[in-house]
Amino acid sequence: MFVAATFAFVLLHFAPGDAYSSIGGGMTDEIRATLRAQRGYDLPLARQYVRWLLALASGDWGWSTSQQRWVSDVIAEAIPRTLVLMSLALCASLALGMGIGAWQGARAERHVAARDTADRAVSVVTLFVYSMPQFWLALALMFCGVRWFGLPSGGAVDDLHDRLSAADRLVDRLRHLLLPWLSLTLAGAALFTRFQRSAMRDAIREPFVRAARAKGSRERDIRFQAWRTALSPVITIAGLFFPALLGGAVFVEIVYAWPGIGSAVLKGVDYRDYDLVAAVVVIGSAMTAAGSFLADLTRELVDPRNRLEHS
Amino acid sequence: MNRAILRCIPLVIFLATACRGADRPTASPNAEVGGTMIIVQPAEPNSLFPPKVSDSQGLSVVNAIFDRLAEIGPELETNGDAGFTPRLAQSWTWSADSLSIAFALNPKARWHDGAAVRAEDVRYTFAVYTSDTVASDIKSAIPNIDSVSVRDSLTAVVWFKRRLPSQFFEATYNMYILPSHLLAAIPMGALATAPFGRNPIGTGRFRFARWEPNARLEIVADTANARGRAKLDRVLWTFVADPAAATTKLFAGDADFYEAIRPENKEQMRTATQLRLHTVRPLEYGYLQYNLHRRGKPLRHGPPHPVLGDAAVRRALAMAVDRARLARSVFDATGDAALANAPRVLIPDTIAVVPIAYDLAHARALLDSAGWRVNPADSVRVRNGVRLSFEMMAPSSSVPRTTYLALLQDQFKSIGVEAKTLSLDGPSMGTRVMSGDFDAFMNVWGMSPGRLGMPQTWGATGDLNLGGYQSTAFDVRLDSALSAFGTSEARRLWTGAFQQLIDDEPGLVLYEQRKAVAMHVRIQNTPMRPDAWYAGLADWTIDPAQRIPRDRIGLGAPR
Repeated sequence: MFVAATFAFVLLHFAPGDAYSSIGGGMTDEIRATLRAQRGYDLPLARQYVRWLLALASGDWGWSTSQQRWVSDVIAEAIPRTLVLMSLALCASLALGMGIGAWQGARAERHVAARDTADRAVSVVTLFVYSMPQFWLALALMFCGVRWFGLPSGGAVDDLHDRLSAADRLVDRLRHLLLPWLSLTLAGAALFTRFQRSAMRDAIREPFVRAARAKGSRERDIRFQAWRTALSPVITIAGLFFPALLGGAVFVEIVYAWPGIGSAVLKGVDYRDYDLVAAVVVIGSAMTAAGSFLADLTRELVDPRNRLEHS
Repeated sequence: MNRAILRCIPLVIFLATACRGADRPTASPNAEVGGTMIIVQPAEPNSLFPPKVSDSQGLSVVNAIFDRLAEIGPELETNGDAGFTPRLAQSWTWSADSLSIAFALNPKARWHDGAAVRAEDVRYTFAVYTSDTVASDIKSAIPNIDSVSVRDSLTAVVWFKRRLPSQFFEATYNMYILPSHLLAAIPMGALATAPFGRNPIGTGRFRFARWEPNARLEIVADTANARGRAKLDRVLWTFVADPAAATTKLFAGDADFYEAIRPENKEQMRTATQLRLHTVRPLEYGYLQYNLHRRGKPLRHGPPHPVLGDAAVRRALAMAVDRARLARSVFDATGDAALANAPRVLIPDTIAVVPIAYDLAHARALLDSAGWRVNPADSVRVRNGVRLSFEMMAPSSSVPRTTYLALLQDQFKSIGVEAKTLSLDGPSMGTRVMSGDFDAFMNVWGMSPGRLGMPQTWGATGDLNLGGYQSTAFDVRLDSALSAFGTSEARRLWTGAFQQLIDDEPGLVLYEQRKAVAMHVRIQNTPMRPDAWYAGLADWTIDPAQRIPRDRIGLGAPR
């Protein structure tokens, strides 16, 4: 995290311009100089870095120049919204991807892949969804959702949400969540399906499957065991996918005007908002570490061989 | 006993129902007032602290919450006080020498927290706007105000350095009056970051209600306002960055107003019967800014640019561009070729100002006579070993400006000029411009009604004179125009100043964009001023016969 924070700080400062570089608004050279001095941007980079690091160590994330408020306030507000969206999308895409992928993989035993129409059809659909740019998928879903199902076009809640009854508020939240959640879920599910299908196809041909069949085990149990051994690559991908969702959510948040950290950081990059972008990089690296740790833990839980490898 | 309780039950139910009814939001009894308008906007303001607000997103909200001393009229006349209407000041008196104006404040005016408005607020406001530590962009727009003094609790006197026709405009247009009783205790250096900027208290006919960052901002009618409550109950700004998502929200009926309808939405607008289109001419013009000094030298310094330092080349470039066709290509029906270095509405005599006409033969002849000969190898002109080549930049975030780059490149090529194009993000482009590391870039200037910013953008000593244009003849004409009191004399002098700019061609003026504003048909608006469509927002109404459920919410507190 320290390395990531340092990289974030240095790379951001090496990018041309700062928060007060854009032309327009009648900002004179004198005003630019005053504002840079107020934020310490006129100091040598090393001094800026030490100041930023000391502040970070004391829990001060700094001031967001793009939102004119404390970075901690921006994060405290935006991160929970993004986490809700991401975690729901991750759970749903995992469940969908593992289910469809396992079903496809299990068919490999009975069908020659090239002639299995159902498998091919599902593969084409997942490949299509997987290869679609996420913002395009989000726009297409928005078009259909708004036009045919009367779903809201964006935002986390209705503009007049606080005028609704408690029950209506819940419904309103769910209605607003549906399209962005579906956009992220479909993209994630397509990815997991492809990995799960491939792993399941390998697992179903393992000798232990044949041995279990010869022993007369029930087909359901055999497939369950094969699925468990095929979970490792999917869990690894899920661990990596967790922080990647933070990036993927950027497009979805922009299209659906979801007030999460993705849209905040995109605006931050545009405005050269050093403190906000650096803070999000630090959080992103923490999430990467947490995702990898959780993936390792889960892999050991579902496949005892991983525990044996360590011991 | 039981009977007594039973008899009381209907009474209890009645009281409970009545109380519940009292808690509920009530619809406004007056048919003209009431209703909710939702504005969809691509970005949210950075702050609502008036001295730090210069973007149109923020100004539309600030203008509703805060008041100026007086408001400019629809003609945007800045000469004297003609056309201005009272706002916080109910009247004003000029001194005999015209070097001060005493503003008598409305004794009934109150801040939204209930405190009375005092002359001290006006004095404090001037101190904030001109403070070096606050570093407001507006400071450069009020150079002629010397000081503000307090004559009594309801009279503030604004003192000027010199007598100018724009004195009254300068004192009233640029400053929104701030509450000194809330802000004076905060050090000037901390004002920009104080919570007030996100939870403002003003004197306008709307008061601030809530701001959910990156989502929405709400203002509601101030029912106790001395000038009468705003006619709408509430205005909500909802922030949607993606233009496609913003228009979807508008066409789905989730929003009532969008000021950035694009040409590709024209067809959709035709079929959307619930919407109508308005055209607003903002006080802006787009142009290609030339660097008149050698690239890489500090801004406004150094020897002349080897190519663009030559006035003949700049005139030839202007002749090579069919600006009317370019404006149509880029903006369809919502753009016009610019006439001079200001939008038409700010050019007093549009007939007398003569722009450089599109004339390819003349452009080629001008370059030939200046010694620029076509190199047969690549068809680019050369003089003394210097190629007639330069680089043009545009911000990547602006589709019109990047499109213009491609079109200009093609037009310049036809007279043997090589123009390379480059798109950069805002901060990167700004850094290059401010360090003088550029040949030319696409820029847009927004102007104030009084043309008071022109010395800044085109004057020899102007801080925003980005190309380093220096012309004593222009400076003299500009100063004379800004100082002229008589209308006909001012027209003549302004014509001379604009013509001088056209003749010197320090930048190639290209277009004036007309904003296509989509609005729900149930909203009845007052005429939209070119400098601020939102100026009359407090008088906008919603047709009682066409009200939809969100118009009937009333002013009651949220549940």
